[in-house]
Amino acid sequence: MKVAVIGGGVAGLSAAYFLAKSGVDVKVFEQKYLLYGASGRNSGGLTLQFNNEPLIRLAKRTLELYDSIQSEVGFNFLLRKDGYVKIASERDEAKLKEEVEFQRRNGVNVELVEPEFVRVLFPDINTSAFSVASYFADGGVVFPWPVVWGLAKGCRELGVEVYDYTPANVELKGNELIVKANGESYKVDYVINAAGAWSNEISKQVGVELGNKVYKEEICVTESLKPYVDPYVMDISTGVYFSQSMRGEIVGGILGSETTTLETKASLDFLTSYAKRITELVPKLRGMAILRQWAGLYDVGRNGMPVIGETKVKGFIQLNGFGRHGMSLALAAGEGVAELIMKGRSSIIEPFKP
Amino acid sequence: MKDRKVVCRCEDLTEEEIIHAIELGYDDLESLKRFTGATTGPCQGKGCLMHVIRILSQKTGKSVDEIGVTTQRQPVNPVPLYILAAKKGDEE
Repeated sequence: MKVAVIGGGVAGLSAAYFLAKSGVDVKVFEQKYLLYGASGRNSGGLTLQFNNEPLIRLAKRTLELYDSIQSEVGFNFLLRKDGYVKIASERDEAKLKEEVEFQRRNGVNVELVEPEFVRVLFPDINTSAFSVASYFADGGVVFPWPVVWGLAKGCRELGVEVYDYTPANVELKGNELIVKANGESYKVDYVINAAGAWSNEISKQVGVELGNKVYKEEICVTESLKPYVDPYVMDISTGVYFSQSMRGEIVGGILGSETTTLETKASLDFLTSYAKRITELVPKLRGMAILRQWAGLYDVGRNGMPVIGETKVKGFIQLNGFGRHGMSLALAAGEGVAELIMKGRSSIIEPFKP
Repeated sequence: MKDRKVVCRCEDLTEEEIIHAIELGYDDLESLKRFTGATTGPCQGKGCLMHVIRILSQKTGKSVDEIGVTTQRQPVNPVPLYILAAKKGDEE
């Protein structure tokens, strides 16, 4: 059996890794360098704080997979589980409360806590800047770069060809799927569309309308400090989030907005908005200097859900639309797609079928 | 230790480490940057980028033009958050 994966991000590489473990002949095509897409530009937050059951299941399995994959491939993902905190202002209190109740009913060990509780986790937070929080102790932060390097290494060791700087096009000839790249044509049994923000274009090539929305989000980092911020903090009322990387930088951003152009220019507008909000939230950071900023693109499926599964075109599989939660979801989704191909079905990805 | 040639002072990378990474297959500038961390520290590449490009050119035989440069990210020099926060406030 031959499988082509379009997109060398976390989702595509995970699918390739699990397929290769089952002995499948897999090739991964990445149009730019690995880490060019959302997998290389995100802030690495890991959580189970989702508001529907299928997403929680996917995130739970993904958290387990981080542990097993990093030892299998022998690569340190710089993952730490020091908690994921969602904070909210008064107007979003009811929303957060409802979310916590739902998550608890679904077996997520999340707690609704007072600002004072968050101050114990992170003493520099301004407790008057929010009124309530949701705390997930087993969440945390992962550094996306080594995740992608580690997956690519694992794939290559299992015989997967991972081609970078190799744009690929998919053609449907009768019932045959053909991938054109490197000036060659590869006839394959399955194509996995894991192209993130570029998934709509790939899908169109075989006549499947995908309709994922594309979002642009911006992030920046400060100079390094000794490690002192434990949790990943997400302010659901302002959209601002931050955490500290294992290298000591404060990594933070603001939730993205929909865009129609696939460009990744960073803006001063973002930087000034972020500076204003983060210094309200953590006044002590005022003197910290911003070293660099960048932007990234991600795609969001219908109703905000990922799109995972086989399409009306036999053998053409979607594995995209993860929104800004790819790091929390994509490993298990990739494993699920591998299971779908090997066994004909996979219950964990069933709810996300196109 | 006296043979250690430090290429990137921010991330404490030696020439040997850069060469090792190239030999592992991280042999284009964008990958090399993201595997080693070179050019992503406080100097943002001002002190190390040209060295990294030189080593990459010597190891791979690619010309400096072929190798290119990494995306230059704003700000040009580090800017404290209070200055950025004030600017927004003044506009409003």
